[in-house]
Amino acid sequence: MANQSRRNFLKTSALIGAGLTGVSSKPAKAAPNNILDENRMGVLVDTTVCIGCRKCEWACKTAHNLSAQSIESYNDRSVFKNMRRPDDKTLTVVNEYAAKGDDQFPVDVKVQCMHCDKPACVSACIVGAFSKEKNGSVIWNGDRCIGCRYCMVACPFQVPAFEYGKAIQPEVRKCDFCFDRTKDGKLPACVEICPMEVLTYGRREELIDLAHQKISLYPDRYVNNVYGEHEVGGTSWLYLAGRDFHELQFPKLGTNPAPGVSEAIQHGIFAYFVPPIALYALFGGVMWLNKNRKQDEHKEANHE
Amino acid sequence: MMNYKIFIWMLIVPFVINGQNKISGNHSTQNLTCSTCHSCDIPTKENPCIKVCPRESMIRIDQPVTDAPKIFVINKIRETDIYSPVKFSHLAHAEMSGLAGGCRTCHHYNPPGNVIGCSDCHESSRKRTDISKPDLKGAYHQQCMNCHRAWSGSTDCTVCHELKGKEKSQTSVVSNNKKRIHPEIKTPDKISFAAKTKQGKLVTFYHNEHINLFSLECSDCHSNESCIKCHSTNKTASTKTISEKIKHKKCSSCHNTESNCSSCHSNSEAGGFNHKSVTGFDLSKFHSKLDCARCHTSKSGFKGLNNECKTCHGTWTLENFKHKSTGLVLDETHSELDCENCHKELSYSKPVCEDCHDDKSYPNNLPGKRAK
Ligand code: SF4
Ligand code: SF4
Ligand code: SF4
Repeated sequence: MANQSRRNFLKTSALIGAGLTGVSSKPAKAAPNNILDENRMGVLVDTTVCIGCRKCEWACKTAHNLSAQSIESYNDRSVFKNMRRPDDKTLTVVNEYAAKGDDQFPVDVKVQCMHCDKPACVSACIVGAFSKEKNGSVIWNGDRCIGCRYCMVACPFQVPAFEYGKAIQPEVRKCDFCFDRTKDGKLPACVEICPMEVLTYGRREELIDLAHQKISLYPDRYVNNVYGEHEVGGTSWLYLAGRDFHELQFPKLGTNPAPGVSEAIQHGIFAYFVPPIALYALFGGVMWLNKNRKQDEHKEANHE
Repeated sequence: MMNYKIFIWMLIVPFVINGQNKISGNHSTQNLTCSTCHSCDIPTKENPCIKVCPRESMIRIDQPVTDAPKIFVINKIRETDIYSPVKFSHLAHAEMSGLAGGCRTCHHYNPPGNVIGCSDCHESSRKRTDISKPDLKGAYHQQCMNCHRAWSGSTDCTVCHELKGKEKSQTSVVSNNKKRIHPEIKTPDKISFAAKTKQGKLVTFYHNEHINLFSLECSDCHSNESCIKCHSTNKTASTKTISEKIKHKKCSSCHNTESNCSSCHSNSEAGGFNHKSVTGFDLSKFHSKLDCARCHTSKSGFKGLNNECKTCHGTWTLENFKHKSTGLVLDETHSELDCENCHKELSYSKPVCEDCHDDKSYPNNLPGKRAK
């Protein structure tokens, strides 16, 4: 409750600040959703099954109208030479970690937004552009975003990406758990295409039971840990692996929700008694200038 | 009335739960959950609620792999239409699996009896309520890719799939499949392995004895090496040196490979297995036709037995032993005597006549007649 009122206060001050300085900011109408429904969905990623075919990458792009190459071109395994991160053009990537023993396969790990139960991005966003939906998805609303990129700093998994390459209306992009598809009763695109059913879509609670059941049935196959069950207060995407998660570049995180971190930023603002109005006026001004400059650059580029 | 019912349930439930805990041998060694085979939560003897098997197909799980159906068109998955249905050369794959686990290589968890197809357990829709096992598409690929990936190192979809609109005609695929039937895998009689040790640098491995005499199944030693053992595209991987430990692993489930080197390693080629010279117990007279397991009953590997008769046969008395089976029918006088009167040794070998007869000895004199 206290959380909510502070957030409202912040937003209101942002509005007033923007209004006073005459900088037009996008209006923030309502408090951000932060629903934790007991039937929220999730995905259990069994990395011991993944073959690194990258069909999920292709499906994700296709479903989000991001330009994708031909499906056959995704057979190219040379991309595994470098570790990749999701970015504004690729909302999910698969990375490969070399096999350990002679008779073992390399380990392929799909990376995307974890859809945290206590999402840091939601808490960090001062205009409520992020929301945790009833079905577990953490989604982003472009109408509200002011481009401050707090979410990128706050996310413990470094997921939200900014369209730096785009001059006009750059957006924050991240995996949206295929909100538009699941809304219509469809499966997330990556879940649907995965040939191996590495990605099991289901109620988060049920997935946790399933994960523990798999571990107890095949103790040699899995490490006894379900990544995402407790990390940063729990995530909707959960992982099983045959090796220590740290070796697969999963960040070592506590069980406390990460929002604590971002809230500290806000608390800090108050601690130094910087009046929020002045702060946002400053932010707004900087951004406005930036935007204009970029638009100018864009125009120039077009003229050449 | 109500209380009475509750009371009865309190009596019954502990038994039911107790029954649950005692899952018999075969069940407990498989990675199964109850719901894989049973449709209810608490199966009982009276109502095991076993899920239905397809009774109309008459191929049994223990039939030879060569009886397997030739080609299946896998067209049960229609959710995505990027690829056209796979024409799966089932027989060729069945034959290839002969060296691994036979039909069970893919038809895992198949109960004794008829072969159950993949789609009888795995749902064809990915959107489903029971997510405890993979859907059909996942199940197929998880089975296929295990070998395909190891064998070719490739995860290219087009190895098996044809992109929609780029299919070859059905006939060419069928004739291709005919050519691809796997040749029969010949089993060698014996293999000589050279060891890198100074002493005992030769291991003569009698392959035929391990199959015929010791009744090992191919898969007891050759599991999980079905394709890459012969077909590895990564030649360096298949010829690279394997550690001593891994080499010994296959033998060590029966042989003591830690300390008893000389039972397999010698400096010259060793002869085949001879029960008398190895164990001191001559099988040739009465025991030559028996399966090893008739006497060596221990499930945890082969164990030596005491060579006294009573180890297996119990104590012999006049009632339970027909002397005729030794090839000698005792005459009237001798058939009244206790066994120990003549047979002093626990192995019941040569009888002693001198205790009663000063002038008689075996085998010059017989206590009866040779049976025909
Ligand atoms: S589609 Fe499935 S198997 Fe292929 S890379 Fe993605 S998660 Fe792995
Ligand atoms: S992983 Fe990052 S972007 Fe995704 S919900 Fe959690 S905090 Fe937000
Ligand atoms: S859930 Fe949707 S947006 Fe997220 S990685 Fe999968 S396909 Fe992409």
